Amino acid sequence: MNRLIALMRREFWENKGAFRTTPLVIGGIYIVFMLMAIFTTTHIDNELYTFKEGINALAAQPAEMRALVIGEAMLGSSILFSVVMSFVILFYLLGSLYDDRKDRSILFWKSLPASDTLTIASKLLSAMFIIPAFFMAVLILTHTLMAIIGSLMVLSVDGNPWTLFLSVFNPFKAWGLIASSYLAQSIWALPLYGWLMLVSAFAPRVPLLFATLPPLIFAVLQTWIEFLRTFTLKNNIVGVIGEWLFNSPVILTAEFDDGRGGIALGIPLTKDFDHAVTIANMLDRLFSLQMLSGLVVAALCLAGALWLRHRAAES
Amino acid sequence: MNPVISARGLTKRFGRTLAVDHIDLDIPAGRIVGLIGPNGAGKTTALKAILGLATFEGELNVLGKNPARDRASLMEDVCFIADVAVLPRWIRVWQLIDLTEQIHPGFSREKCLEYLSHTKVTPDHKVKQLSKGMVAQVHLALVMAIDVKLLVLDEPTLGLDILYRKQFYTNLLNDYFDEQRTILITTHQVEEVEHILTDLVFIQDGKIALSATMDEVQEKYVELMTSPQKAEQARGLGPMNERVMFGRHIFLYQNVNREHLADLGELHTPSVADLFVATMKGGEV
Repeated sequence: MNRLIALMRREFWENKGAFRTTPLVIGGIYIVFMLMAIFTTTHIDNELYTFKEGINALAAQPAEMRALVIGEAMLGSSILFSVVMSFVILFYLLGSLYDDRKDRSILFWKSLPASDTLTIASKLLSAMFIIPAFFMAVLILTHTLMAIIGSLMVLSVDGNPWTLFLSVFNPFKAWGLIASSYLAQSIWALPLYGWLMLVSAFAPRVPLLFATLPPLIFAVLQTWIEFLRTFTLKNNIVGVIGEWLFNSPVILTAEFDDGRGGIALGIPLTKDFDHAVTIANMLDRLFSLQMLSGLVVAALCLAGALWLRHRAAES
Repeated sequence: MNPVISARGLTKRFGRTLAVDHIDLDIPAGRIVGLIGPNGAGKTTALKAILGLATFEGELNVLGKNPARDRASLMEDVCFIADVAVLPRWIRVWQLIDLTEQIHPGFSREKCLEYLSHTKVTPDHKVKQLSKGMVAQVHLALVMAIDVKLLVLDEPTLGLDILYRKQFYTNLLNDYFDEQRTILITTHQVEEVEHILTDLVFIQDGKIALSATMDEVQEKYVELMTSPQKAEQARGLGPMNERVMFGRHIFLYQNVNREHLADLGELHTPSVADLFVATMKGGEV
């Protein structure tokens, strides 16, 4: 257990920029935009007349309505974090079993009494839990800072931030949902994570190419054969992967077409699952047949990665 | 006492090539063994099998374990420096120390810091900021602070300047080696290690060309330096090798009556390098 923790610390040290700095930059962007908006408002309207009007209009709404707006805004603001996080995880996993082969430091890592299984576990667990934990922590920090800045603004025009928005919505509800969705996504994305680690253990160079080309070639062939057979374009691997993404248990869409916020899990183009943001819908995905087949794919890929890692220092 | 390393019919194939060809080898505890061979002879391949980094055919037992299966637990008692440049470049020295401490049961932080205190390296240095020689110092400090039974060094001083190389072996011999420990070294710079070795293994084309203790080498091999006039006579005694230096003929003999030779000229113990050259030539015939 100590060894696993030590190895996971190593992953953090090596990838500090990706794990910690990246979410901080996104949080920073939110804060900077908020401050820019405030400066713009005060510059144009130094009496803050429109701002006061806005507060009054908001205060006139029923509390449930305000809670809904705040809740959806909190959930919606996680999308940027989640999308960037998925790229961070993608590149982290692609490098996870490749970088040390490339610079030969694998010979040092293999001189430590830590098994290949433990090494792979430390990298997979970092992708599943450590990276989301950093993004989650910074997201909470960002929300908190934004709430403080917003409160100060409201106070500055003699409004009451507590009755206006702080007391109407429990932020832990939104944070709980987002954190749960990250955990669910870590499991849902296991077949992808397994594939990336397999490629990382195998690729002689440019893992990104090896990760994307085979599925692409396979998809083209499949589509072509399928087309020759049925003269339709359905049921190919792109469709499978696309649906997998659309069904993600992480908040990816914010529609505002009906006037009200429409925050959804994944992208609601498929009808396999309910896309409303609830824990039940996340669990629904995790206890599905798709998930089971995905876990089989993940297990095969990880076994392959372990086999390759075992022989990685051979030549 | 059980040998630290014991190999029977150790073989490694790469496709059709036999990189290691049915090697039998026993290395007892408390020895410093030089594994010496030309490029591509199979030294590194054999070491990788011993360290559990490569699969192999045949029997191989290192400290009672099968390295191919039990690398992780074997590494509790074995340390290796594969070559000077394998420490991860992004890591800081204190992180290396922390990590090794948490992963290696036999690591002593105090010892490591003590070794490092004699160098210009500070815990806050990143490996990529250090010169090659300093990286080697860090690696050696880490390794010497770990209490293991077998230390394997594969070209540990490659690319280092002479000061670092001398220091490296001095530290190893004075601060590290004792009767409980075994050190296995491969190197091309034979001259540097020959005074610290207790055993010699020559490897050529995947086979062992010579395996002897240094005492046996002294007993078995002798070098005769003689004048050109007596060269013909010396040649008749069946030398392994002959070379000419400053007009003197130098012959290397194996298992020869030294009294006969003494009449022909000066006798020396051959250097490992000369013995190596002679043995490799012999193998070619």
